[in-house]
Amino acid sequence: MDDYTTLAPPAATSSVSPEVVYQQLGHLTRLLHDTLEQLGVMPNLQLAADNLPDARSRLNYVAKKTGEAAEKVLNSVDQAKAEHEKIARETREIAQAIMADPVKAVASGSVMNFVGDVEAATARIDQHLTDIMMAQDFHDLTGQVVAKVVKLAGDLEDSLVKLLLQAAPPDQVAQHRADPDVLNGPVVDPSTRTDVVANQGEVDDLLASLGF
Amino acid sequence: MSTNTDMKFLVVDDFSTMRRIVRGLLKEIGYNNAEEAEDGAVALNMLKNAKFDFVVSDINMPNMNGFELLAAIKKDEKLKHLPVLMVTAEARKEDIVRAAQDGAAGYIVKPFTKATLEEKVQKIMQKLMTAA
Repeated sequence: MDDYTTLAPPAATSSVSPEVVYQQLGHLTRLLHDTLEQLGVMPNLQLAADNLPDARSRLNYVAKKTGEAAEKVLNSVDQAKAEHEKIARETREIAQAIMADPVKAVASGSVMNFVGDVEAATARIDQHLTDIMMAQDFHDLTGQVVAKVVKLAGDLEDSLVKLLLQAAPPDQVAQHRADPDVLNGPVVDPSTRTDVVANQGEVDDLLASLGF
Repeated sequence: MSTNTDMKFLVVDDFSTMRRIVRGLLKEIGYNNAEEAEDGAVALNMLKNAKFDFVVSDINMPNMNGFELLAAIKKDEKLKHLPVLMVTAEARKEDIVRAAQDGAAGYIVKPFTKATLEEKVQKIMQKLMTAA
């Protein structure tokens, strides 16, 4: 292993020629490369880095599939609700017609028309429910993709933590903290955090404690 | 302030799915008149060009986020009376406190139920009626 004292910066007053700087940079690069190789981190890190573009496209795939599924479900629900509303309206109308004049309601065909409408509407609603069920197929596909990305993230984390622990000075490791903005978004496990609320009740309690 | 049935809502969220869900729930609880905006900048433009009675806004959005939209609304003389209900996945206490201090009328964390949305909207309505 090379002598690390050579990494010390030159005194501010000394003048160093560009050739010496280039030589030192080359030396540092070789030193870093050799150190990483010796630590056994490089192959795993390289593998993880090579897989990152794939992970990105996999996550895009998940976003696309879940988005499509959500749209499909919402469209089916809209259509089913419209059918339901129509049947509810016709039911009220036929009830009024029967109460006003039952014989006329039957004789005019209103009752049988209503029965036919109900049968047709329920068939359409059943199809919408089937569509909603089928739209859930994204879960199987995206679940597999997410599992692969999680494994990649785990591999990358292992390599980086290993590199950090072995190569960085302890005081610098302790100074680095995650950017809080990176943690924005849904809280997956509130039980592990003290700075977040776990449910709407806690939001209301917090606001009430502030006088809102 | 318009009456409940003709009140006009603006639903602001960068996810079209969530906009549709909120609109659908508003419709179910009796508010049929709602429009959508995909971020704070679009929302602010719509608010300045048409009359709305109520804003339901996400926080994390591109271009202009929910906090920035809230600040812009409260800074504008013509808009500052508008109630803004934050509906967001942000569950950090500091975000909830900030929203309240910045003038949000309510705060709902996702995922939420129709009952929660209805309760918060009604509560805000009652406050507005009392204040009027």
